[in-house]
Amino acid sequence: MSADVPAMAMGDIAFLLLIFFIILARVTDDSHVKVNKADGTELQKPQSKRVGIAIDTNQITYLNGVRINPDMISDALYKPDAPSGQRGLLGDQPPGQRTVLLKIDKDTPASLFEPVIEAVSKAGGELHHVLEERN
Amino acid sequence: MKLRRQSLLTEPPASATSDIAFILIIFFLVCASVQQEDGRPQEIPNSDKEQQAKNPIRVNLERDHVKLNGEVLAMKTFQEKVGELLAQKVNEAEKTVSIRCSPTVPYQRWMNVTAWIEDAGGTIALMRKVQ
Repeated sequence: MSADVPAMAMGDIAFLLLIFFIILARVTDDSHVKVNKADGTELQKPQSKRVGIAIDTNQITYLNGVRINPDMISDALYKPDAPSGQRGLLGDQPPGQRTVLLKIDKDTPASLFEPVIEAVSKAGGELHHVLEERN
Repeated sequence: MKLRRQSLLTEPPASATSDIAFILIIFFLVCASVQQEDGRPQEIPNSDKEQQAKNPIRVNLERDHVKLNGEVLAMKTFQEKVGELLAQKVNEAEKTVSIRCSPTVPYQRWMNVTAWIEDAGGTIALMRKVQ
């Protein structure tokens, strides 16, 4: 006796798997963070997209889409004293691969974004401000 | 003789609905993931490093005005003067511009001013009050 798996079910299985991976992928994605971007000129594409920090319209800070206390950013990016492999998101990445995308709402006060910029600088991150092209 | 009437409505096969759903999800996924990430790279030296200039150009950025080496300037004048000052500097270390920013200055204003300084060849150094 043999029982065949109904071919009809394959589509549903694929569908569920896809939903699963979408949800998993969105954990490191910050597309759900609402930001009114500042504008600028001569914009460039980022060198790498390893780390993203965002400050949204409600002035909440996110690291790779996850809410974070701004005081923790520096340690989360780079811990020089930790064993290899546990040195944070930037770890021992070479220059050119240490890009940190900054998506900051244009009305965010300096008291909030300056500590973030300083933390990235301290961790040896390469800042890339995500902006909108000025018309 | 009785003619058999053919039904005009033909139902789509049920097995196709999951394929349609799959294609729709792929479409929305691709649409959602195409985010513009163009912007401006910025180099801000680590404040721990000892390569800071002895007499940097000082900028005080406030919500409604800007000071260049203590002198209050209009934005257009500031843009011109900072360019002139940086053009006089010879080596890279002298081109450091230290910015002290009021806590209420919005990000857009900060980006505008730092972009002008960088376009004129300056390197930004943040000066913050230690709390």
